[in-house]
Amino acid sequence: MTTTTSTEQQHDLDPERGCYVYGVVAFGDDLVPAGMAGLEKAPVRLVRHEDIAAVVSDIALERAPGRAADLLAHSEVLDAMAGLTAVVPVHFGSVLADDAMVVEDVLAPGYDDFVHLLEELEGRLQLNLRATYVQETVLAEVVAADPEVAALRQRTRDLPEDAAYGERVRLGELVSRAMELKREDDAAVLMDAVTPYVAAWSERGGAGGLDHVIDVALLVDTVNLTAVEEHLEGLAEAVHERIRLRLVGPVAPYDFVGGAGWA
Amino acid sequence: MTQTQTRRGGGYLERPAPSGLADVIEVILDKGIVIDAYVRVSLVGIELLTIDARIVIASVDTYLRFAEATNRLDLYEKGGKDLGEFIGDMQEGGAAKKTSGAVKGVKKAITGGGDDEERRPARKTSTRRRRTEEA
Repeated sequence: MTTTTSTEQQHDLDPERGCYVYGVVAFGDDLVPAGMAGLEKAPVRLVRHEDIAAVVSDIALERAPGRAADLLAHSEVLDAMAGLTAVVPVHFGSVLADDAMVVEDVLAPGYDDFVHLLEELEGRLQLNLRATYVQETVLAEVVAADPEVAALRQRTRDLPEDAAYGERVRLGELVSRAMELKREDDAAVLMDAVTPYVAAWSERGGAGGLDHVIDVALLVDTVNLTAVEEHLEGLAEAVHERIRLRLVGPVAPYDFVGGAGWA
Repeated sequence: MTQTQTRRGGGYLERPAPSGLADVIEVILDKGIVIDAYVRVSLVGIELLTIDARIVIASVDTYLRFAEATNRLDLYEKGGKDLGEFIGDMQEGGAAKKTSGAVKGVKKAITGGGDDEERRPARKTSTRRRRTEEA
């Protein structure tokens, strides 16, 4: 079967096999669906400690470095588990020597934190929302709003790449500042429209592209999921001429467990 | 009409397939609690560099990119018509008013003031963005 409740086995370290950890859940007898497979298609099972458990599967230690399939398997297991129960995701790629070590090094010392996190995440899922500018539209706004930008653009646009370096930098600087102001305003407006619908949110801190507006993780009560999705669809329609919204999820609450970010 | 079509059929909100590698990497990379692991499955070998990853760009570089993007705009080629439509209200008043006008436009749109009935699929930007962010 797919669950292991004993923590007293496998104390002899197998130098070739390890225990890949996906996340932590509140223990449940038939929690892991029969046939659920993880990395290397190994069966997913639970390693229990008191009333919590780690979601794990066995993995060969002597293997090629991480592959795309590993990432997909990690996220598939966690997202599937998140659809069944609250789950605290563990960082991708975490392997312990055996079940006993999972208990001794992870579940036992972290017990109080896990229980607390699991309570907070109960009945909730994560959506990732990214807003990006329709670059042509917003750049056109900037050009039209600032005569200096328009003039610099007029002077530099037909010159070769390496000509008028100073003017190009000045043009870019002006455009960049104007975009930054727009970004602050538009991000605030978008977040005002989104935050009333979510239990918590967290900036994802990536995506420094020219068209970046916001990139946030939203923690949503599962019962509100459809309403939130409909609201975001309406929001996307309302702003679509200037801003595109992209929604990924629902996924496991990766951004609400205090893991290290990109910073 | 299936459930999926109902949920995702709006057209303006992009809902990528959940199994795309780029999105999976975005979602899980460096997220989740960090445990003192015995070994770590290395990320080396994953086609990370081809992914639309986060790129922090330094100032002058950024400026040149903005300049390049601005100069790529086909403002005049489009006859300026689109431009006028988009930003009509911004051309009145001073700089401060321009900003708040733009925000008000979004606010108005968000609260249902927008009445654009035309439906068109959101255009994808990923190719352009990747190209813009390279180097």
